[in-house]
Amino acid sequence: MGHLIANAWLRGLVHGALLITVLMTAVAWISWFERKFAARVQSRLGPTMVGPAGLLQPIADAFKMFQKEDIIPRGADSLLFRLAPPLTLFLSLATAAVLPIMPGMLASDLDIGVLYALAFSGLLAFPIWVAGWSSANKYALLGGMRMVAQGISYEIPMVLCALVPVVVTGSLSLSEIVKYQAAHHWLVFWPPGIGVIAFVLFFTTALAESNRIPFDIPEAESELVAGPTTEYTAIRFGLFASAEYAHSVVSCALASALFLGGWDGPVLPPSVWMLLKTAALFVIVTWVRWSLLRLRSDQLMALCWKYLVPVSLALVLGAGAWVYVVG
Amino acid sequence: MASTAAVSSKARASSTEASLTPTRAFVPDPYLDLATYAAAADLLTLSLGPQHPSTHGVFRVVLYLDGELIVKAVPHVGYLHRGVEKLCEKLSYSNVTPILDKNDYVAPMCNEQAANMVFEQLLGVEVPLRAKFVRTLLAELQRIASHLLWLGTFAMDLGGALGGGTSVFMYCFRERELILDLFEELTGCRFHYNTHCIGGNRHDIPAGYPALVHQSLDLIEARLLEYLGMLEHPIFRDRTRGVGTVDAELALELGLTGPLLRASGIDHDLRRDAPYHVYDLLDVNVICDDGGDCYARYKVRLQEIAESIRLSRLLIDNLPAGPICSTKPLSGVTQFKITSGQAYVAIESPRGELGTWLIAGGKGMNPYRMKLRPPSLHALAAVPYLFPRHTLSDAVAILGSLDPIMGEADR
Amino acid sequence: MLYLTATLQSLFSTLRQSLKKPTTVEYPKVVRPRAPRLRASFALTKDAAGDENCIGCKKCEKVCPSEVIALTTVKKPSPITGKSRGYASDFTLNLQGCIICELCVQVCPTDAIVMVQDQEKPGFSREDLVLTMDKLYDNGEKKLRLSWANASVLAEHQNPERKHA
Repeated sequence: MGHLIANAWLRGLVHGALLITVLMTAVAWISWFERKFAARVQSRLGPTMVGPAGLLQPIADAFKMFQKEDIIPRGADSLLFRLAPPLTLFLSLATAAVLPIMPGMLASDLDIGVLYALAFSGLLAFPIWVAGWSSANKYALLGGMRMVAQGISYEIPMVLCALVPVVVTGSLSLSEIVKYQAAHHWLVFWPPGIGVIAFVLFFTTALAESNRIPFDIPEAESELVAGPTTEYTAIRFGLFASAEYAHSVVSCALASALFLGGWDGPVLPPSVWMLLKTAALFVIVTWVRWSLLRLRSDQLMALCWKYLVPVSLALVLGAGAWVYVVG
Repeated sequence: MASTAAVSSKARASSTEASLTPTRAFVPDPYLDLATYAAAADLLTLSLGPQHPSTHGVFRVVLYLDGELIVKAVPHVGYLHRGVEKLCEKLSYSNVTPILDKNDYVAPMCNEQAANMVFEQLLGVEVPLRAKFVRTLLAELQRIASHLLWLGTFAMDLGGALGGGTSVFMYCFRERELILDLFEELTGCRFHYNTHCIGGNRHDIPAGYPALVHQSLDLIEARLLEYLGMLEHPIFRDRTRGVGTVDAELALELGLTGPLLRASGIDHDLRRDAPYHVYDLLDVNVICDDGGDCYARYKVRLQEIAESIRLSRLLIDNLPAGPICSTKPLSGVTQFKITSGQAYVAIESPRGELGTWLIAGGKGMNPYRMKLRPPSLHALAAVPYLFPRHTLSDAVAILGSLDPIMGEADR
Repeated sequence: MLYLTATLQSLFSTLRQSLKKPTTVEYPKVVRPRAPRLRASFALTKDAAGDENCIGCKKCEKVCPSEVIALTTVKKPSPITGKSRGYASDFTLNLQGCIICELCVQVCPTDAIVMVQDQEKPGFSREDLVLTMDKLYDNGEKKLRLSWANASVLAEHQNPERKHA
């Protein structure tokens, strides 16, 4: 596969910088989109004042975030408290490195791309727990505890569901998986039945991983004020917020690469297809968020261990059997 | 010393035995859990409130947590104490009404009515039939508005300020606005009306009002059905079923009233059992549920909205002609004097039995003592009984289902 | 499975709501029609000849539950008719403490103080929300939409002999 830039290091640097720029810009306007979407759902207007249709609102928000007073609570573990927000954002963005945007364009075409993405996405529970622990606040502590429990639990069905494409294509490389889908079938339809269920479960667990309602128990506002981010102010809080959005977007992109054929599609250029699929999944994420109530933490765990884990295990077995029989 | 200690410990033992005997009324010890809890030293003390998103104002409850599990809950009230009862002792009788609007700020109409009814009883003033109809109508509309607000905030407690809960909250507020618009049309204010006076009402129904009422009620009825499907989600049922169960005995023991009592299976409604206004002319369906949990309270309140819509339609259709007030319009601050006597009037506010007890005395210019019986305070008394054995998330749901309004609980 | 169908139902109901026209409006640009009886602020009125209606009887000051009205009375000849009668030499109403209970309007024997539908603009200092006599007469003269309610109208509403069609 011929890459646009020959040197691997240079390629990684250029593509990585490009990805981060695109992602962070996207995250800013995704927050605008989410506010507008929520407003429409709730029969409100949403942001209207800053720029046409409030389009410049994210910029105003960013300026506001920078201007606010930065407070580190007395008694907080200062080093960890400062470390947690950039670490969260770093981990969310690092996952994006293996995302295949179009043929020949990805920051790093790792052979174990799926493993890498899932590992970094799973690590995300860690800095949030650090934030909760270092804040010296009981709400933050409880939120951090919930985050760890939820992150670790939902990692398992998520990995198992991601194994289905891996088993079918026989590759751990995301670009190989997308190429297989472009050549054969989208994995959401293949193996028939199993693919759809695996996709729905993967999407659900990805929601849980990125703390979106109905799985946002770590920062459940009505119970824990703001969970691990309770004590954070100014741009530190902003980093958490953008990390959450970035993680959601990356999860959506991952799901579309694994199951929806990635860049594969007629007429339009490949990168547009990838963006379209990711955007469509993110709309669903947002839509679900503003339509559902929140689960209780024990119910969340029960859902994971009693239903999602066994079903996803069965899916992996089914996919293996399919490959063995059909080939 | 030793002997007294022995005696008191013996007394304590016997009292424990007494409380366990089934013949006596059920008196559970709310703090029993902590005493018997093995890991008492390792409990996390969490002060929920007074500044917290879901304490419905400034309620504070100190939770003793074992992980997520609540072992003991100690409620603290009084953060919103404004001395309303004392203030009433200073104000003349006609000035009390606008002050009591601020008491239960979600159902101000009921507060006005309770106060004015007690004044009328002591003064021996008869209220004209039209005014009674209007008062009943206002009380029922207020019940719809109050229950809608409750539904919205309850959904927000369950679904978070940044999720589906807020969507339901916004829908409920949109519908509640329709009722507030009706009140504005009649009284000129959306919240603090001061529309009742001794002997009747101050504002008469404007022209075209019945059509407006029908229009708004139709809208509310239709829209409620539209988004109830959103709430009838398995997540909602999981979060509310079997959570915060109050059985009939405990409900009676704590003095719970209104929807809380009816959700515990006790068929009691002042509108039917001690009719005031024109409730004796109406056939009020009292809605009961045996569940006693958050889900039962939700169902009872929802059906009460439907019942109130039905009653409001009946009332506005059968509004009699006639005067709206039997006393002369207020012309000075000392128009009414009550020199002696005392009376207690209880009405069914959206939250339960709202009582006003007045002792008149002195020169008769002001109440000698005015005692309000807020249903919210009694609802909050259930907190130490309901929270233990539930998780922190459930605590928020239970508190929401009790529908406390701190303005009237703390007065 | 049950979760899934119920979730789809929830998504459907939010979708249906989102297709409706928003109920909120961009407030300062668009103002919702308010009820004709809306009470928002106060005005002092003058009679047809331009004479102040207020006779300085202090009934409103006494009846006000939150004690925000203060007025001083002076007896002087009317600039229009020349007859000597009471006037308010100073009249202030502190809107910050006002609970809009309408009792001052109701007790006014000369329909001098009325409520108007136009909200006072928010101010930057506390003094901005204290309605002085000048501001109150200004409110009355600036052709603000006068409220439906003055003492006579309210009294007619409560008239025990009131008849209805």
